[in-house]
Amino acid sequence: MSSYLLRRLLYMVLILAAASLFIFALYALMPGDFVSGNLRLSAERKAELREIFGLNKPLLERYGTWMNQALHGNFGFSLAQQKPVVTLFNEYVWNSFLLAIVSTFFTWLIAVIIGVISAYKQYSIFDTLVMIFIFAAMSIPSFFIGLFLIKVLAVDLKWLPPGGMTTTGSNATGIAYIREVLDHMILPVVVMTLLGVDSLTRYFRSNMLDVIRQEYIRTARAKGLKERVILYRHALRNALLPAITLVGFELPGLFGGSLIIEKIFNWPGIGQLYMQSFTVRDYPLLMGFTMFIAILTVIGTLISDMLYRVADPRIKL
Amino acid sequence: MNKKLIFSFLAFSITSSLFLAACTNQNDAVTTSGEAASAGNGAGVAQETPLSEQGLTKLQLARDITKLPEQAKKRTDTIIVGLTDPSGAFTPYFHQSGYDGNVSSILYASLVTVDDKGMPIPDLAEKWEVSDDQLTYTYHLRKDLTFSDGSPLTADDVAFTWTLLHDKVYDGGSLIPELHIKGGQAYKEGKAESIEGIKVIDPQTVSVTLEKPNATALTTLGGEILSKAYYGKDYAFGELDYIKKLHENPVGTGPYKLEKFLPGQEVRFVANEYYYQGKPKVEHFIYKTTEGDTLQFIETGEQDFGGFSATKENIDKLTGLGFLDLLPYTANNYGYIQFNLEYAPLKDKAVRQALTYGLDRKTIYVDTSQGAAQIANIPASPVSWSYTEEGINTYDYDPEKANQLLEDAGWIKGADGIREKDGQKLTLHFIGSKSKATDVFIAVAKENYAAIGVKLEAEQFADFNAQIAKFESGDFDLVSFSTPILTDPSDGVVAFVNGEVKGYDNPKVKELYEKGLATSEIEERKAIYKELYQVINDDLPYIFTSYKKSLYAFNGRIENLTVSPFRGISANIHNWELK
Repeated sequence: MSSYLLRRLLYMVLILAAASLFIFALYALMPGDFVSGNLRLSAERKAELREIFGLNKPLLERYGTWMNQALHGNFGFSLAQQKPVVTLFNEYVWNSFLLAIVSTFFTWLIAVIIGVISAYKQYSIFDTLVMIFIFAAMSIPSFFIGLFLIKVLAVDLKWLPPGGMTTTGSNATGIAYIREVLDHMILPVVVMTLLGVDSLTRYFRSNMLDVIRQEYIRTARAKGLKERVILYRHALRNALLPAITLVGFELPGLFGGSLIIEKIFNWPGIGQLYMQSFTVRDYPLLMGFTMFIAILTVIGTLISDMLYRVADPRIKL
Repeated sequence: MNKKLIFSFLAFSITSSLFLAACTNQNDAVTTSGEAASAGNGAGVAQETPLSEQGLTKLQLARDITKLPEQAKKRTDTIIVGLTDPSGAFTPYFHQSGYDGNVSSILYASLVTVDDKGMPIPDLAEKWEVSDDQLTYTYHLRKDLTFSDGSPLTADDVAFTWTLLHDKVYDGGSLIPELHIKGGQAYKEGKAESIEGIKVIDPQTVSVTLEKPNATALTTLGGEILSKAYYGKDYAFGELDYIKKLHENPVGTGPYKLEKFLPGQEVRFVANEYYYQGKPKVEHFIYKTTEGDTLQFIETGEQDFGGFSATKENIDKLTGLGFLDLLPYTANNYGYIQFNLEYAPLKDKAVRQALTYGLDRKTIYVDTSQGAAQIANIPASPVSWSYTEEGINTYDYDPEKANQLLEDAGWIKGADGIREKDGQKLTLHFIGSKSKATDVFIAVAKENYAAIGVKLEAEQFADFNAQIAKFESGDFDLVSFSTPILTDPSDGVVAFVNGEVKGYDNPKVKELYEKGLATSEIEERKAIYKELYQVINDDLPYIFTSYKKSLYAFNGRIENLTVSPFRGISANIHNWELK
């Protein structure tokens, strides 16, 4: 196990090194840089600025500088926002995390419950309705659902706020502040859950269907166990096993932010920040963010493998 | 399977991001500038409907203020305005995003500012003189000016600000270093301790000498002033990083002070009791970060003021809400299609004129945008003091004339209906952004040009930088752009003389451009620009396309609200009142 871990960690370092090169090359090859989009500047001033920002140096040298700084814990300075990249992450990423963790929780909860029931009652009316609903939800674009809910619940009925994380100008603190944020979270969380729940439900349903047909379930029934015990103790546990791998893969998603949801609901998250940086070619921030997601993905994969081993002793690492 | 999930998510997020980027660009145009030329304060026009065939022409007052949402009614000392994305770098000259510029324009007053026609008027400086040789500018400050921390503002602060911008590591977008102040270059290279051309005469008077006359210097130099005691405390030549730490704690001279900045959410201001025109009447002001649509926040009363495109649909919808005053404005910039003048067929003026006559600009820009645009024919917007229609050819859509011009220039229709000359076919490669407006352009222009025997091939870019890269590679014949907001008329024509429009070299244009900058007498400059516009209007290095028309919608309780086409809301915000 420990030698396996060591080997995995070594791989991780190699993968991240390769990823960093890839990410750097990707952004370096994109047409345009931070200076080129500014139509106000004269050609001489642009050249001067490229010199100051180091954009005129050879690619390998720029990569070297970037990596060197990163290894010293300095992930660069955002050109557009005029702040260290790490500070910016800290300002925005937790807002995204808040939305993601809550909606992921509800997504899993609902997906497991519906998945199990519709598998157990395969081809029942409930199952058919669920499948219709799932396909419908999958086919409607998120921005449409989001805008529709804002129109109905926020603008027409005025039950919920139309966007943002707090009420503009609010000085609420303590409990009042938490309530305010919760109020503002309802709509985005509902939409995110709605979008996430469909594929996951189908996943659990098909896992459950596989397990229910296993012989040990038949044996359990033959022993005269209660249906509830069979379902939850024997079937569900085994059906959840493959899902554990998914937990690790959720990790980058928890911190990555959601471009569309954040845009529609005016949520101050990292997805929005990334998008704005992309249009102005703010390389330090873009590379820093992509690298951050790459690191999370690699760690997430490792966590998945570890969890799998914990959950299923048949798997040897 | 899991990997597939992640990859498909990535692909999805990239496509959607491009779509969103396009939206942002449109929003920029609406929120960053504005015009209120004929608006006044609307007294006496209460019941009259200014909605005509041209859309909205002047301020339209709220029909039914009782419809105002509860949330807006409850606010008695705060006005909330939407702003796309302020980032927190609020020090003038040092921010990289225009939205931070909007914030700093509220926090800092200028030495000299401009009125609604772009004419210089006093701000922190009560008067100024320009020497006869047009090289020396002397500014006289008002008495008893103070920064928002209570410290006095003197000529030393002005000299410090100008000097700071000549530092060799200064990386902002100020044009002051490009004015060629005497001794500026020596300072930049570290050869001099101070800048020779900048002289503090007494605590109220400061002068600056240029190497070469430049009529834009008066307003360029007359910008915001940084406190030497605050921003200069840690200054050493070649070392400006310390300023970044001061971005979120500005010390200014404007109508409001910064109260609090919540990244991605809002910028809160509180009235500045030291403001030289008196403390603003509304105690609090908030710029709310609004990435997407602002209408939902206006409808629910969470925001008091928003910018929209002046389409008939928007006007009807906003009028229908009842509690909004609507203020139309034309942005102070222009849209254009640039010719690649290095492509042989386009070197011929007659061909360029034919392509302008042969393009139905009214359908493309005015009709399909439901009236949210006006046709442009010169490189200046109708809101500028230099604008003229005298002696300007309007190039109304006239395919027959276009055909005639091409025929006379020796372009003869071939068997496939496309004109040729010396074995070369007249085909044009157009590049533009991926947007609805460009879609319309391509659809109509293809048909228009087919009718005059010209083949148009179009390519669209979802990303502005990608379009710029293609443009810079020279691989295009026509490209669609619009200028940034123009502060001085010379900004609108500089591209024709500084080599930016490749292959364009007209000595007359150069001469007039220089003449236009050599004097600061407005009447003289007007005459020069009129002549210059006539030359360019005939020569057509661009097809001038349109001026965008937008409108501001705001809570009808706000009084005295005007918006300057050059300075946005900051020009008059200290007079706003909440009834």
